[in-house]
Amino acid sequence: MKQKGFLLDLNLCIGCQACALACRNENQAYTNNNWRKVVSVNLDYSLSFSCNHCESPECFRVCPHRAFNKRKDGIVVIDSERCDGCGICVEACPYKAPKYDEEWRKVSKCNFCLPRQLEGKIPACIEACSAGALQMIELDHYDSKDTVLTTEGFPDIHLTRPSIRFRLFKPRKRFWNNNIKK
Amino acid sequence: MKHDPPNQYQIFRHICPRNCLDTCGIISYVQDGVVKKVGGDCEHAYTQGHLCAKGYAATEYLYSPRRLRFPLRQFPRGSGLWHRVSWDEAYQIIIDKILELNDRYGSNLALGYNKYYGNMGILHSAVAGMFNSIGPHTKPGGDLCTVAGDEALIYNCGSIQCQDPESMAEAKAIILWGANPAVSAIHQYRFIHRAKERGAVIIVIDPLFTATAAKADLYLQITPDTDALLALTLAKILIEEEGLQTEFLAENFVGWERFVQYLAQFVSIAETVELTGLSEPAIRELAGFFKNNSPCAIWAGFGLQRHRNGVQSVRAIHSLAAITGNIARKDGGFYYRHDFMKFFPDNLLNFNPESILKSRFVDINTFPRDALALQNPPLKILWNSCRNPLAQDGELHYWDKLLEQLDLMVTVDLYMTKTAEKSDLVLPAVTYFEAYDLNLSAWHYWIGINQKAIEPCYEAKSDLQIARELTFRLNQRRPGFSNFPYEKTDLEWIGEEFTPEVLAALELKDWRQLLEQPKKLSESYIESLQYSTTKDKFRLCSAQAKSDSLPMLPRFIKRIKASDKSSSPAYPLQLFTTQPLLQSHSQYKDLTWLAHHDSREVLEMNPQDAAKRGLSSGQWVIAFNRYGSAIFRLKVNATLLPGIVHGHQGAGINVLIPYQSSENEQRVSKKQGIAFYDSFIEIQKAMVPF
Repeated sequence: MKQKGFLLDLNLCIGCQACALACRNENQAYTNNNWRKVVSVNLDYSLSFSCNHCESPECFRVCPHRAFNKRKDGIVVIDSERCDGCGICVEACPYKAPKYDEEWRKVSKCNFCLPRQLEGKIPACIEACSAGALQMIELDHYDSKDTVLTTEGFPDIHLTRPSIRFRLFKPRKRFWNNNIKK
Repeated sequence: MKHDPPNQYQIFRHICPRNCLDTCGIISYVQDGVVKKVGGDCEHAYTQGHLCAKGYAATEYLYSPRRLRFPLRQFPRGSGLWHRVSWDEAYQIIIDKILELNDRYGSNLALGYNKYYGNMGILHSAVAGMFNSIGPHTKPGGDLCTVAGDEALIYNCGSIQCQDPESMAEAKAIILWGANPAVSAIHQYRFIHRAKERGAVIIVIDPLFTATAAKADLYLQITPDTDALLALTLAKILIEEEGLQTEFLAENFVGWERFVQYLAQFVSIAETVELTGLSEPAIRELAGFFKNNSPCAIWAGFGLQRHRNGVQSVRAIHSLAAITGNIARKDGGFYYRHDFMKFFPDNLLNFNPESILKSRFVDINTFPRDALALQNPPLKILWNSCRNPLAQDGELHYWDKLLEQLDLMVTVDLYMTKTAEKSDLVLPAVTYFEAYDLNLSAWHYWIGINQKAIEPCYEAKSDLQIARELTFRLNQRRPGFSNFPYEKTDLEWIGEEFTPEVLAALELKDWRQLLEQPKKLSESYIESLQYSTTKDKFRLCSAQAKSDSLPMLPRFIKRIKASDKSSSPAYPLQLFTTQPLLQSHSQYKDLTWLAHHDSREVLEMNPQDAAKRGLSSGQWVIAFNRYGSAIFRLKVNATLLPGIVHGHQGAGINVLIPYQSSENEQRVSKKQGIAFYDSFIEIQKAMVPF
C-alpha cells in the first residue's frame, strides 16, 4: 500500500508559523479551527504537525458512525455527512488532530490538502515553508536512513503509527555569555 | 464539505506593503468580488511563492469584523463616545477647522501630519502631497528605524548600501549579527539554507537567544551594546596575528595607520572578554571564520543600533567587513538595508517643493515633544496616517500634553489603534486589496505594482482618495486653497514614477509590464549601488563624524553610568522590546487567526532576577520606571542574561521607553534615533483583581 506522509527537518524549521496560517488560509471555508499547529518543544526546535494520516488511525477505529476513511494513498479523510460531532475521535487521537467546530457541531481535520493534490498542487503547509523544513514523502519508497519515527515533544506513536518522519536536531556549538549560569 | 471548483478564481497580484524587509509578492484569489484566499507569487523570485504567517492571515485582516467601516467621530475626545459620521460631515469638520486656523494665524503652519511606513506603498505619500498642496505646514522629519546605522555607513563610505540578499546563498560563512530573520525576514532562509547546503557555516551573534540563534551552527551570546568592541577585537586579531594584507589596505583605506594604532593601543583581548562576556576561544573561533571561510557575509541587524553605541557598532562591523575584503564581493557582502527611498522620484512626497522648503519639520522620533515647542503658531491639527505613535513612540506622556493643545486629531487607519482611540476623527483606510500601489523593498531588489482586486469594503478609502476629496472640497469652499491635482488617477501617479532612469534600471520599455509580474532591478544597476574601492576610499577615519562631534574612528565607548539618563539603582533591569513574530510593529494585533499563538503580553526574565523578586512564570507583574508602568505576564527564561528583560513592542510596553539618542555624545546635527534598548525598568508582582 502507498502511504503519503510528512517529513519535518528539525534543523531547518524556524518555528515561523507560516504553515499553520497557510492551512487556515487554504481551508478556512471549511472550519474555524486550526488543523495545523506549531509548538515550541525546547530551546532547539519547534514541532509543526497536523493529522498524521496514521497507518492505524485511532479516529477510524473509535468513530461510532464510521465517518473516517483511509484512502489507498494513505490519506485519512472524514465524511462530515456521517459525523454527528460526538467528539470521541477528538479524545482518542494522540495528536489531537480532529477538531470539533462549535458552530458547525461537527469534527473536521487536515485532509492533506486532497483537493489541491487532485489539482496537482502540493499541500498548502508545505508550499508555505520558506525554510524548506516541511516536505511530503511517499513512505513506502522513502529511504529513511537519516530520519526517525519520533522525537522529544512528539506524542506517543505506538498506538497509531503516524505517517510523519523527522530529521533530528543536530547539536550546535553555543558560547553562552560568561555572566549567565547554565 | 464543499470545495470550490478549480479555476473559478480571478487572480490579482499584490505586494505586501508592511514595514518589513521581505515585501512579498502576493496573489489574491477572488470570487464575486470577494477575496477567498491568498498565496505567494511564484513570479517574485525573492519570496518565491511563500508568505509569512501574517501574510496568510490577509483575508482576516481584510474582512475582520473589527475593521473600521465608516468615519467615526469621538466627542469629547478620549471619552469613548463614538458616533458614525458621513464622509461629508468628516470633511466638513476638518475643513472648518483648517479654514478657521488659516484665518486665525494667516498660514497653515498650525496644521501638521505624522506619517511613516505602516504602509510602504508609494501612493501613501499622498498624505505628504495633500499637505504640500496647501502651502507651508508642519511635517515629520527624520527616521525611526535606522538612523544610527545609516549614519555609520555614510561616515564609512558615503552611502547606505546592501548587497543583493539573494547572493547570500554564495557565502561560505554567514554572520547574522543582531539579525533575527526567523522572526523578521523569514524568506531569507531560502538563501541561508542554500548556502548551508553548499557547506556554509551560519553564525549568530546576539544577546538574545533568538529563533535564529537556535538554528545557527555557532551562537555567541554577546553582552548588549558591546558589538563595536567585538568587531574591533576581531580586526585586531586579524591584523596583528593573521597577517591581513596591509599594503593594499593602507592605500585604499583613509586612516588605516591610525586605526591600526588605535587597535594596538586601546583594544585588549582581556578587556573584550570581560566586557562582551565572550570567552577568548569564542572570539578566536569567530576570527578564524574570516580567515578560513572567506568569503564571509555579514548581516548587521537593526537591533544593535538601538543602543547608545549604535553608530559605533555599525561602523565597526562594517569596517571589519571592509578590511577583510568582504564588502566589495557579491559572494561575501555586507547586509543591512539599501537606500530604497532614493529609487523613485516619489512625486507625491515631493509635490510642491516650495511648500516643503518653507514648512516646519518635527523629528519623528521625538514628535510630540518637539511639536509642543513650536510657537507662532502652535500645532493645532494633527493628521496621522500609516502610523500608530501612541503604541510605538517613546515618552508617551508627551502625547497627552500635545493632545491637550490640539484642536483636532485625525487618524486614518484600518483598526481602532491606540492612536485612533485618542483621536477626534477616525477615517477608515483600505487594505492593499482595495487600491493600486507601487512597492519596493528596503532589502531585496524586486519592484512590483500592487493591483486593485476588489472595491473598497464599506466606506474605506485610500490616502490618495482622501487627499483628492479633501482638497477638492477645500477648493470649493475657498478657491485656490490647494493645488492638489485631484483629477489624476492612481495609475497615472504610478506611471509618472517611471522616469527614463527608473525604466533603465529595471530594463523595462513600458512600466505597464509590471502589472503582469514584479521585476528585479538589473544586475548592473544593483552592482552600481555597491561599494567599490575604485569609486571611493573607505573611511576608517571620518572627518564628517568628527564634525558631527562623534569619534573619527569607529570606537567602542564604555557606558558611563553617571551620564545615563534612565539607569539607576531603582531601575536596574534593561528592557529589550523586539518585533513580535505575528505582528508588524503594532499591526495585526486584532487578528484572531494570529492571536492563538499569542506571546505579546509576556515579559521574559532570567531565573536569578525572578528569584530575587520572588517571581515565577505565569504571574502577573508590573513593569515600571519614572516614565510609566504596564502589566505583563511573566515568563522565566534561562537563556536571558541577568539584568535583561525581554518583551515585544506594540503591546503598551513603550510607556517605559525614554527618548535618548543612539549616538553616544551630544550631536551637532539634529538627526537622531532613539536607543530603544537602553531603557531601564523595575518589575514587581502585580496586584491584579482578576
